[in-house]
Amino acid sequence: MESGRLRPRSANHGDPFTRLVMQAAAKRPRTNHLDLAQRILDVARQRGFAPGAHLPEQQIASLCNVSRTPVRAALRLLTEQGVVQWEAATGYRLVADLTAQAAVAAELPVTAEDELAEAILRDRSARRLDQTVTVVGLMRRYDAERKTVLKALQRLTEENLVGRAPGQSWLFRRAPDDPEAQGESYEFRLLLEPAAILTPGFRLDGTRAAMLRQGMETLTALPDAAFDTREFQRLDIEFHDMIADGSANRFVADALSDHLRLRRLPGTYAGVNVFRLKQSLREHLTILDHLESRQYEVAADLLRVHLRLSRSQRPQAASRGAPALFGMISRPD
Amino acid sequence: MTRKASPTIALFPEASFGAALNCVGIAQALRARGARPVFICHAGFSGVFADYGFQEYQLPTDDPLSDSERQSYWQAFVRRHLPHFRLSPIDQLETYVAPTWQAIVDTAVNAEAPLRQLLARLKPDAVVLDNVIMFPALAGTACPWVRVVSCAETELPDAEVPPYLSGLAADDPSRPTFESRYLAAVAPAHERFNRLRADAGLAPLPKGLFLEASPDLNLLLTPTIVRRERAEPLDSSRFIYLEGCVRSEGPFEVPVFPRNGGPLVYVSFGSLGAMDVGLIQRMLAVFDRLPARFIVNVGGLRDAYRAVPDNVYLDAWFPQPSVVAKSDLFIHHGGNNSFCEALRFGVPSLIMPYCWDGHDNAQRAGETGVGDHIGRDGWTEGVLERAILGLLADDAMRARLKDNAAQMALKPGTDVAAEAILSLVRT
Repeated sequence: MESGRLRPRSANHGDPFTRLVMQAAAKRPRTNHLDLAQRILDVARQRGFAPGAHLPEQQIASLCNVSRTPVRAALRLLTEQGVVQWEAATGYRLVADLTAQAAVAAELPVTAEDELAEAILRDRSARRLDQTVTVVGLMRRYDAERKTVLKALQRLTEENLVGRAPGQSWLFRRAPDDPEAQGESYEFRLLLEPAAILTPGFRLDGTRAAMLRQGMETLTALPDAAFDTREFQRLDIEFHDMIADGSANRFVADALSDHLRLRRLPGTYAGVNVFRLKQSLREHLTILDHLESRQYEVAADLLRVHLRLSRSQRPQAASRGAPALFGMISRPD
Repeated sequence: MTRKASPTIALFPEASFGAALNCVGIAQALRARGARPVFICHAGFSGVFADYGFQEYQLPTDDPLSDSERQSYWQAFVRRHLPHFRLSPIDQLETYVAPTWQAIVDTAVNAEAPLRQLLARLKPDAVVLDNVIMFPALAGTACPWVRVVSCAETELPDAEVPPYLSGLAADDPSRPTFESRYLAAVAPAHERFNRLRADAGLAPLPKGLFLEASPDLNLLLTPTIVRRERAEPLDSSRFIYLEGCVRSEGPFEVPVFPRNGGPLVYVSFGSLGAMDVGLIQRMLAVFDRLPARFIVNVGGLRDAYRAVPDNVYLDAWFPQPSVVAKSDLFIHHGGNNSFCEALRFGVPSLIMPYCWDGHDNAQRAGETGVGDHIGRDGWTEGVLERAILGLLADDAMRARLKDNAAQMALKPGTDVAAEAILSLVRT
C-alpha cells in the first residue's frame, strides 16, 4: 500500500498506516482556505501582478469578495508554499512569477476530501464503483467519516461530475470513457468549440496562450520514449478550456467548460499512441498561431479538422474474415 | 531522391489487429530507413495506420455494410461462436474453422478487382502481404511480393510440424484424424478459392492450402526459442525467421491500484476474446484473492463489469508492447503477436486459447518451457490460481526468458524484416 493513498474497505483505524493518514489529514488545511488561495493567485495573474507586488489584505479581500480573516489564512498557506512572502514592515508580497508557472495550485497540499474525491473518480473509472453510490457505502469502502464523504461528494457535485439521485444515493455523470460516449463527446465539441471562436467578441488570454505554447513546444520536442501522456492531458484540457473561456457567449463558454471538465476524469485519454498525440500538439500550435493573429475563421476551421482527426478510428472488434466493428456492441448473452 | 532511394512499400495486412500491428512495426523500421511505407487496408481499418503516421489506401467495397448491419453481424457472430470457442480444436473444424475460411475466401473475392486497380495506380516497389490467403492480384503486379507468416509456424506444413490449428504435438497419434477432418471441413471453401485462382490465371493450390510461399521473400514470426525442427528445412534464401516483430509504442504508466503491490499480470485475449465477458468475470473472481495486480483489456465492454476487485484495472485498449515490458506474466489467447511480445520482453505466457493458431502456440509454450496453457473451458478457480502462481514463482523460467529476450533485442524482427524487404527491391 502506498502511503498517502486512501485504502478502501478493509482499513483498520488501529494500524500504523491508517494512523498516519489520519494524522496527516488532521494537519491538512481547510478546503475553503485552499480554494481562496487559488482564487488569490488567479486574481493576481489576471491583473498581471509581477514578483514583488504587494498583496494588501484589504485589497485582496475586496477583490475576492470575502472578509480579511480567511484572506489572512489563505495568504499564510501561500507563504508556506513559497509563493508569497511576509515581512513585518510591508506585509504580504508576491514571490513567484505567476506567468511562468502553469499551475501553482498543483503545488498546494490536498485536503482529505480532495484525496477522497480523486479516489472515488479513479475507482468509478475502473468500475470498482457502480454508477450509483451511497454515502454509507463510500464510508464503508474508504473507512472515511461521514462529513469527509459528504464534502468529497459536494466537491464532485460542484464540478458537475455527480448528482443527487432519488433516496440517499448519488449518481455519476456519464464520462467519455467508452467509444460510444467519446463519439458523442466529439460531436458535441465539433458543434460548440468552433462556435466559441466564431462568436463575435472572442478574446484570447495572451498570458495563458504563451504558457501553453511553451509547454506544448517542450512536450513535442521530447523523444517518443520519454513522452509524458499526463502532461499531454493537462495541456490538451488547458488548450481547449482556454478556447471555451475566450468565448464572448457565456452560455457557449459554460456548456463547453462543463463538458470539458469530464475530460479530466481518469480513462478518457486511454489508448492514443504517441505519434497522434504529438501530431495533435502540432495542430494545437497551428490553431494558436491563427488565434494570435486574429484569423478566427481559419482557426475555427483548423479546430474542426483537429477534432475530426482526434476522434478514434480504431475498430472495436476485428477477426479473420469478419467486417471490422465500430461503436459499441452490447454485452453478449 | 530517386525512386529506389525511397521505395514505396505497400503493406497489406488482413483485417485483424495482430497482422495490422505487426505491419506497423515493419513500416516503422522501413520509414526509419528512408522508405515510403503505405498501407492497403480493408474497410474498417482505415485510421488505424494513419494514427501511426502512415498513408492509407482503403480497398473500396461494392456494398459496404452500414453501422447497424455491422452491429447485427457481430451480435450474431458472437452469439453463434462463443460456444464454439469452448470446443476442442478438432471440434471447431466444422463449427468455426470452415465458416471462417468461407468468409476469408469472400474477402479475397471481393478485394480482387479493387486491389488490382489500386496496385496499378500505386505502382509500389514491393507489396508485403500479411494474411492467410493469397490475393491473385498480387501475382499480376510487376513488383515482388513478400509473405509474412504471422501465425504460428504451423502455418507452413511439414511432416515434423503439427497440423495447422490442431493444437497437437508433432508426434500425436491423432494427427491423421485431424488432417482428414480438416481437409473435409475446408473443402468447399478451398474449391471456391481455387476457382478464383483459375479465373485469375493462377495454378490451383493443393487441398487445405490457401496461400503459397512467395517466390521472393517469406518472413516467419517465429523466435528461435520456439522454432521447430523441420523434415524439410526451409530455403534460407527465401525464408527468413524473425525474432518477433514488435512495434514501437509510447511509454505506459502503471495505474495506481487501491490494493497495490505484488507482481504485475497483463491479461488480453484480443478484441474478439474481450467479448467473452462471462469468462473474464470468472477470472476476476480469482484475481481478487491473489497477491498480484492485474491489468485487463476488456475492449469496449467496460460497462459490463461491476465491483471490479481493487487489484484489477480494466481498460479498452493498451499500448501492449509497453505494458508487456513492465509485466511479470502475460495471460493471452495465443495470438502469435501476443506470444512474440511476451518472448521479446522475457515474460512467461499463460495461454488460454479459443481458436485458430492460439491452440498451436498454447501447445508450443508448454513444450518449450516458455509458459503454460489451460483450456478455456472446464478450468476451476484452483486450476487458474495454481497456473498463475506457479508461473510467477518459476524463477528458472523467468531467468531463461530474460536471457532469451536479451538475445532477441539484439536482432529486432522489425529491423531484419525491413532490411530484407529493402534488399529485395534494391537488387
